[in-house]
Amino acid sequence: MLTDGYDKWLCFLLVVTLIALGVLLSGTGARKVGPAPDKALEREIAYQSQLNFLKKLYEPVESLRRTGNLQAALFKLDELARTYPNEAYGLILKGEILYRMGALEEAVACYVRGVRLNGDYVDWKTPLSRRAELQKVADEGLRLLGDKARANPENRSLAAALKNVYYLRSRLAGGCD
Amino acid sequence: MFRKAFRSIRLVVFVTLLLTFFLSGCKSDKKPVMKIGYMICNSEQETLQRFRPLTRYLTEKTGIDFVAVPVDTHDFEKRFNAGEFALTHTNSLLYIILKEKDGLKLIASEKRGQFGPRTAGAIITRTGSGISKLADIRGRKMAFGPMLAPTGYLAEYDLMAQAGIDPERDLGYYSIPSGSFKHEKAIYGVLYGRYDVAAAPVLDLELLVGEGKISPDDFVVLAQSSLVPYCTFGAAKGTPPSVVEKVRRALVALMPDETVEVDGERLRVLKSAWIDGYEELLDSDFNSLRDMARRANMPPYQKF
Repeated sequence: MLTDGYDKWLCFLLVVTLIALGVLLSGTGARKVGPAPDKALEREIAYQSQLNFLKKLYEPVESLRRTGNLQAALFKLDELARTYPNEAYGLILKGEILYRMGALEEAVACYVRGVRLNGDYVDWKTPLSRRAELQKVADEGLRLLGDKARANPENRSLAAALKNVYYLRSRLAGGCD
Repeated sequence: MFRKAFRSIRLVVFVTLLLTFFLSGCKSDKKPVMKIGYMICNSEQETLQRFRPLTRYLTEKTGIDFVAVPVDTHDFEKRFNAGEFALTHTNSLLYIILKEKDGLKLIASEKRGQFGPRTAGAIITRTGSGISKLADIRGRKMAFGPMLAPTGYLAEYDLMAQAGIDPERDLGYYSIPSGSFKHEKAIYGVLYGRYDVAAAPVLDLELLVGEGKISPDDFVVLAQSSLVPYCTFGAAKGTPPSVVEKVRRALVALMPDETVEVDGERLRVLKSAWIDGYEELLDSDFNSLRDMARRANMPPYQKF
């Protein structure tokens, strides 16, 4: 059977192939049992980079807000909203500015939109959390808009504004969307 | 003989019934006609273009044949007093004037921009003008909007008066741009150096920034008023309360996807009117504007 050189050569190649296959398979197996990539770490890195990006993006707005140039901060937000129209960070920031400018109903409406887009803003544990501010506005909204709505029960706009306050309170209390 | 007479009577009764049916039919098809006076913002043509779809919408929702009438701001009171309009669409100052003098009833206010049914007036200068605070505008050139504009004239006049600046004496001079688009002319006038400062409605600034026509880096807000209501629908004293309620309901229920047909074209009502929606304000929401008018000695509280 293995008489001529050609057969011996073929046989040798078959053995080499089998050994190589064995090494290859055992190598893959070794990788399988190695340490798994840290998904939590990957998530954290992605979250932190998103946070850094948002902070950098909205820094001009924050800067104007810090110096009390609230209207200019709103204009800057408008400009940013042309590129990022549905960014929750911008909406929450807008809510805070509108609240400081005395537009309570509009502030609550902005917070509601922001929280619907990203629930991290009502969560104590996240770096994005704005829970304290949201709670303050929700409490004030309930008191002021609630009084007005009770005094004007036929007014549909006040009822709608109060509904937004209730939504915010439900999210702060841990409810889902 | 008796039979013939009976047939004639039967014929007369039949014809009478037929005529009654047709005439009553005609009567029920005819809708009551009422006029809505729309205060002209820039031009008669623009006002009609904006508000004809809204007027058609109100007709469809209420069953009343509303007719849109564009009215010059300064003629409004006279024509309203003459009983020409069942409903009015005016700025918030004109609403107060008609309310105090002629008992106009509040229906609903327009939502447009960041502050919904409210907006503010601002005094602006261009970036790098050397003016950094309100006190610096003494002796400078200033542009105002039209005299009955709540956030293009009254709010700024009041801001200056409250800061101890008399617009009549302390400015180098002030003027009101001629023709239409006065607010835009005042804003661009500042940005391109014709004036040092301008009375700018915040909503106009917001729209210009939103459309990318100007940048927030181009100008500085030196002072800004408190929020006051935006344009408002009102009803004359004689307009039936049932009509007022129907109109209010229709306005507050108006959503961006609502369309009507005008001149063979289907149009979005809110988009055509440049409005985000309507809100029911309370008359007490107009008190801050009333205070401004009192302080600035403006109608309806003007004293000579």
